[in-house]
Amino acid sequence: MAAEAAYTVASDSETTGEEKSSPSSAEVAIGIDIGTSQCSVAVWNGSEVELLRNTRNQKLLRSYVTFKDETPAGGVSNQLAHEYEMLSGAAIFNMKRLIGRVDTDPVVHSSKSLPFLVQTLDIGVRPFIAALVNNMWRSTTPEEVLAIFLIELRAMAEIRLKRPVRKVVLTIPVSFSRFQLTRIDRACAMAGLHVLRLMPEPTAVALLYAQQQKQQAEHENTGSESEKVALIFNMGAGYCDAAVTATAGGVSQIKSVAGSTLGGEDILQNIMHYLLPDMDNVFSSHGVEEIKKMGLLRVAAQDAVHRLSTQASVEINVDLGNDLKISKILSREEFEAVNHKVFEKCESLIKQCLHDAKVEIEDINDVILVGGCSYIPKIKNLVMTICKRGESYAGMNPLEAAVRGAALEGAVASGINDPFGNLDLLTIQATPLSIGIRADGNSFVPIIQRNTTMPSRREIIFTTVHDDQAEALIIVYEGDETIVEKNHLLGYFKIAGIPPAPKGIPEINVCMDIDASNVLRVFAGIMMPGKHHPPAPFMEVRMPTVDDGHGWCAEALHKAYGSSLDLVTVQKKVQQ
Amino acid sequence: MCCSFSKTDPFFTLSPTVPAPSVRTRSDQLPIISFPTHSPSLNSLKSRVSSRSGCRFGSFSAKSVLEDTVSIADPCSFYELLGIPETGTLLDIKQAYKQLARKYHPDVSPPDRVEEYTQRFIQVQEAYETLSDPNRRALYDSDMARGIHLAFGARKRYQNQNDDEQMVEKGEWRSRSQAQVAELKRRSAYRDIDNNSWGARMRRRNAASS
Repeated sequence: MAAEAAYTVASDSETTGEEKSSPSSAEVAIGIDIGTSQCSVAVWNGSEVELLRNTRNQKLLRSYVTFKDETPAGGVSNQLAHEYEMLSGAAIFNMKRLIGRVDTDPVVHSSKSLPFLVQTLDIGVRPFIAALVNNMWRSTTPEEVLAIFLIELRAMAEIRLKRPVRKVVLTIPVSFSRFQLTRIDRACAMAGLHVLRLMPEPTAVALLYAQQQKQQAEHENTGSESEKVALIFNMGAGYCDAAVTATAGGVSQIKSVAGSTLGGEDILQNIMHYLLPDMDNVFSSHGVEEIKKMGLLRVAAQDAVHRLSTQASVEINVDLGNDLKISKILSREEFEAVNHKVFEKCESLIKQCLHDAKVEIEDINDVILVGGCSYIPKIKNLVMTICKRGESYAGMNPLEAAVRGAALEGAVASGINDPFGNLDLLTIQATPLSIGIRADGNSFVPIIQRNTTMPSRREIIFTTVHDDQAEALIIVYEGDETIVEKNHLLGYFKIAGIPPAPKGIPEINVCMDIDASNVLRVFAGIMMPGKHHPPAPFMEVRMPTVDDGHGWCAEALHKAYGSSLDLVTVQKKVQQ
Repeated sequence: MCCSFSKTDPFFTLSPTVPAPSVRTRSDQLPIISFPTHSPSLNSLKSRVSSRSGCRFGSFSAKSVLEDTVSIADPCSFYELLGIPETGTLLDIKQAYKQLARKYHPDVSPPDRVEEYTQRFIQVQEAYETLSDPNRRALYDSDMARGIHLAFGARKRYQNQNDDEQMVEKGEWRSRSQAQVAELKRRSAYRDIDNNSWGARMRRRNAASS
């Protein structure tokens, strides 16, 4: 295929062995912020963080890949003749919203109004995604699109830095599941990049803040720097996250993080639906004409949203053809009313994050607002109201904070030393989501709670629910929903060889370990009271183990086994 | 000295070549589960695949470190662990924690001691989490006054914040004192056990409460 000549997308089984030949450890890892709508690359240049620019001198690059003729082209090198070109069906974007999600996911369903093909069969498998090439739908995957884009970013960085680039620190949304992280990792491997860290976006911002506070304290020569607590709220096109960090002496201790799949895209779609209530019907067939209309409406809505950040009202005039004309004046009040649910969710996310961090509003020294949506007056307003503050932290560019933090982490993780101590930094991360197993009927029993400092190791003892139960299923989930299926399935395995005993007697010990590399391992072992040897060897499983059909798996397991292999917690009984 | 690292982890001294969980029987006839903190086979696997898999927040070290795996043989108080006096203020606690994090966190510890320091970091974290919360610190202090603060294994109840919150809410003084008695019993029965693996702790705890 001709595409392979232009883009070497290596399968991830072929990259082994390259590690030894990788450049010396002095190579500074670059920081990449892959945004839903825009991307940026930054690197520690020896004295400070510098954003890299493409050949057209842009440092914020549109995240999309166009499949034209035989060669895909990404937003790094490509020059769009017009905004509409991106909306002609040939370009795939918003891959960060789609990557690692199954076709039952509401986020995937809301992506169906994008001007390319997103098809779902609603059975818990990977959605079908395709770009329109020469009036034909050419299939691709979010991983492939991301890999093509990363190859372009890598090429750009190599040209700018005049050296090979292998190591990267990527920022990721807080709400990403571990399964999604494996997809990001795979896309990087396909692009020949070695991931040093996957850093939740607000924690990258926290690291930048830690460095700034440290420099300020040294500058003012105040001796030992006092601890500063900051709330970080980051909202981009695809996701929003919050974090509370306690910073002193360059150490950023993440007290809590919270994230959601809520972003500018939701705001945009709300406005599109408001302008054209019949939108889903009009566009359902995904014909060439419909895609063109979808693109026109999208551009008009996007433009209106942007202008409403500075204007009290905007006029929208868009001709979608076939007597479908939209002419409307949209006021900021209307805009806020249409999106009130989005704003409410933002509020609850921030409140949850503050609650989890166990900090009082009065303890917060700085409120940091970043991401594209931080320009929306209502967003600014709601964050500042919660924090009872007049002004947000002024020391950062909202669109560059995350990538700058990632570049700092890249330098720190590459072992670079700075004579002025500007890299004497450390981030102490916390787990964004709880990890546990299905037990006590259909409940989710967390073993490692969310916002647990990493590395960490926790365990719970379970027992059988049937007399003479010989086997037990350990189904591992990640998330914070009490109903187990609403969480992300990470994997499952069976413990066999439980000796015959009345229910409640055998002890099944389940231990979860997140090591320094953020690798999750699940251990399980059987112990019988009074016995000195375990009846069966223990299990050690590295998670996630699920593959693309994971939505299907849980249901299949349930059908096949019902509750015959269930477990209940022992600890709860003891406590009561 | 208190808190010194022991090079004789019970698990590894018993089975120095087999990187698998083991069960020992002591004279008191109680089995002890010990899952390895770091399985060398897994580490070597990680080093092979590290260039393309494993999403990580922390730095990566692929060292196979049988001898470096340590346990805390000599339990000490959270205060000693943080290196602060028992009268230390919240500020002292926070400062000590950040200082020790700079030393023991796997991102900044020397590459050849990552595994060892990671265990230490987890203990420092536990000490910090307990002492930086006024309620938990009060509970810990009163336990310490009764002499039942020792052995990391007995500290599970400081770890689980939800349990603590529940207890404070319900004001269950009775269950607390019962827990303390149980803790004492456990300690007197197993004080010679220096294995602090999760399995060992759970066995002890369960045996004593059943």
